[in-house]
Amino acid sequence: MKSFLLIMLLASLGFASVKVEATYASLGAIAKKVGGDLVSVHVLASSQYDPHFIVPKPSLLSKLRRADLLIINGGGLELGWLPPLMRSANNGKIQVGAEGFLDISHFVAMIDKPNSVSRAFGDIHAEGNPHYILDPYNVLIIAKAVAQKLSQLDSQNMQTYKKNLANFTREWHIYLKDLDKNMLTCKDKKVIQYHELFNYFLKRYGIKSYATIEPLPGISPSSKHTLKLINLMREQKIDMILQDVYHEKKTAHFIASKTDAKVKIIPHDVGAAKGSETLEDFYNMIAQRICH
Amino acid sequence: MKKTLSLSLLLSSLLYSDSELSEIKERLQQQDIKIQALEKVAQERSSVNQSASFSQNAYLPDMALILNMSAVSRDVKNSEYETYSIPGFIQTGDAAIPFNKERGFNLNYAEFAIRSSVDPYFEVFANFHLHPNEFEIGEAFVQTRALPYALFLKAGKFKSSFGRINSKHQHSWNFDMQPVIYEALFGPDAISDPGVQLQYLFPTDTYIMAGVEAMQGSNERSFGDTEENNLYIGYLKSSVDITDEFSFLGGLSIAHGKNTTANTTDVYGADITLRQQLDSYSSLVLQAEYLDRNKDLGDTTDKQAGLYAELVYKVNKNYSAGVRYDAITKNETNLSPDIDCDNLQRYGAMLEYKPFEFSRLRLQYSYDQTKIINGERRDINEVILSLNIAAGAHGAHSY
Repeated sequence: MKSFLLIMLLASLGFASVKVEATYASLGAIAKKVGGDLVSVHVLASSQYDPHFIVPKPSLLSKLRRADLLIINGGGLELGWLPPLMRSANNGKIQVGAEGFLDISHFVAMIDKPNSVSRAFGDIHAEGNPHYILDPYNVLIIAKAVAQKLSQLDSQNMQTYKKNLANFTREWHIYLKDLDKNMLTCKDKKVIQYHELFNYFLKRYGIKSYATIEPLPGISPSSKHTLKLINLMREQKIDMILQDVYHEKKTAHFIASKTDAKVKIIPHDVGAAKGSETLEDFYNMIAQRICH
Repeated sequence: MKKTLSLSLLLSSLLYSDSELSEIKERLQQQDIKIQALEKVAQERSSVNQSASFSQNAYLPDMALILNMSAVSRDVKNSEYETYSIPGFIQTGDAAIPFNKERGFNLNYAEFAIRSSVDPYFEVFANFHLHPNEFEIGEAFVQTRALPYALFLKAGKFKSSFGRINSKHQHSWNFDMQPVIYEALFGPDAISDPGVQLQYLFPTDTYIMAGVEAMQGSNERSFGDTEENNLYIGYLKSSVDITDEFSFLGGLSIAHGKNTTANTTDVYGADITLRQQLDSYSSLVLQAEYLDRNKDLGDTTDKQAGLYAELVYKVNKNYSAGVRYDAITKNETNLSPDIDCDNLQRYGAMLEYKPFEFSRLRLQYSYDQTKIINGERRDINEVILSLNIAAGAHGAHSY
């Protein structure tokens, strides 16, 4: 009996792992890079879906109930689905303000901050554009924030997290160098997009987005607005439409047929499109689809 | 700013001869000193507290206004409609009809909903329900944020988590009409009382939640003996994701209380919700509940049951359509021998248009065979066009 207990104790020490819940796949992927074998990472939202509209299924409560750390995107992106889940998960460790709660938006410089905030302008985010994951440089900031948090929660493994972060940062800098080089050929491209989903990537690489297919954030396209877009694209010679995986694609194809523009399906998160399952593949796919 | 300045100076320096280089270097150093001084000032300015003294604006709770109004057409006069009864459940004149009562226009309610964290330990929610001539505290409760052992405690006046639709606010229902069995057993507010609730979430991969509640039991349709807190409720809920897109939620509930005759009433409930997610904005949801009541009246015991089932197809962000079926399936009680009390049923259908998340227009039709008016069965055709808005900081709804 004694030896059994000892084995159990050793086993539990050997597999001691921090249970991490990340709201989106890209955050989960970064957490896995930093945490390595010391963490188990689960992602709440499927990247097939609109990140603003995730169904708060009860099965997610079982995940949250046992989490040691919850990593959220923040900036209002989870406002429509996460708060009721957090309230019913009965887990004090991951509530706002608790040690096991990490809002990444508090570490990132947000762009597109609106000057005035009203729902009359549609579903705008007062804090700025929350889709900062689209900037591959933000991966470094996120990794650092996650490493800090993990070191705080699991201080005995602090050195490992530090080492993992250093390794990952080095790798990522090399990766960014390559990516930047590939993107040089893409400067000054002109695009429109469905929702202001890709602004961080576009801004990083000097690509200009002229308009969105939705007339206002969160509002479905109207024929009047679509006609305006077609005229704008003809005038400005815009030949690319960035379409996400989850919105209807009819409007984009209609506009394309009237303007000879190309519709490119761009993943907004790790795993959103087939072949974008790792962080590198995710940004590579965006780069490749916009540039070629 | 600093970078570009130094860079341009550096670049231009290449164009100058060595003699001019030292002069440029000196100017560069002067610039650096100036920039540093400016940066220091800017930093000091931004870290100074600029808020008004004693201002607490940052602590304001989330507040929202919820408005519900309707236009109603019905083939029964208002004066007759308000006297309706449901055989075995609601006597003539006892029907409470807070919503969509009048033919023509109705302002059903203006609701003021407030949510805020109190401190690291508690969160508070209140919902002030305002009818045209009435103020009501719909709900007002505190709940815990950080109890250990996956426990959750709620205290105050709240809607019980008995069954499926009971805890939901009218504005989040899929149909404006309350399910007949809920109206028959509990009335328009369903089980809503002062009390305490304790819930526990099991540490399993599958969602399993158990809860118990102690309530005052002021609901006179089924309970109503409020000499002391006489209503006890328990439930067990579980949910399984059969695929990533298809999920099942089921629950079993029991409410045990004392009715106005000081005898016991037991209500048993079973509910299922099946949801197939089709894409981000489209889904097919089937929700059904069965309620069974044993109401001991001393000499006799009423044994009654009923159900509703609704199927809602969310087409896209803007449109939904749905059908609902209601029925009283068991009615062993003192029924009037002169009136045929079989086949108490209602059929409903709705079409919904949401221009945006926070506004909703809904057109509904129902054919109701559950009512008795002026001592005889009367089938009612009803069309309701309702408008619901939620303005301000209104939180997301739970599953």
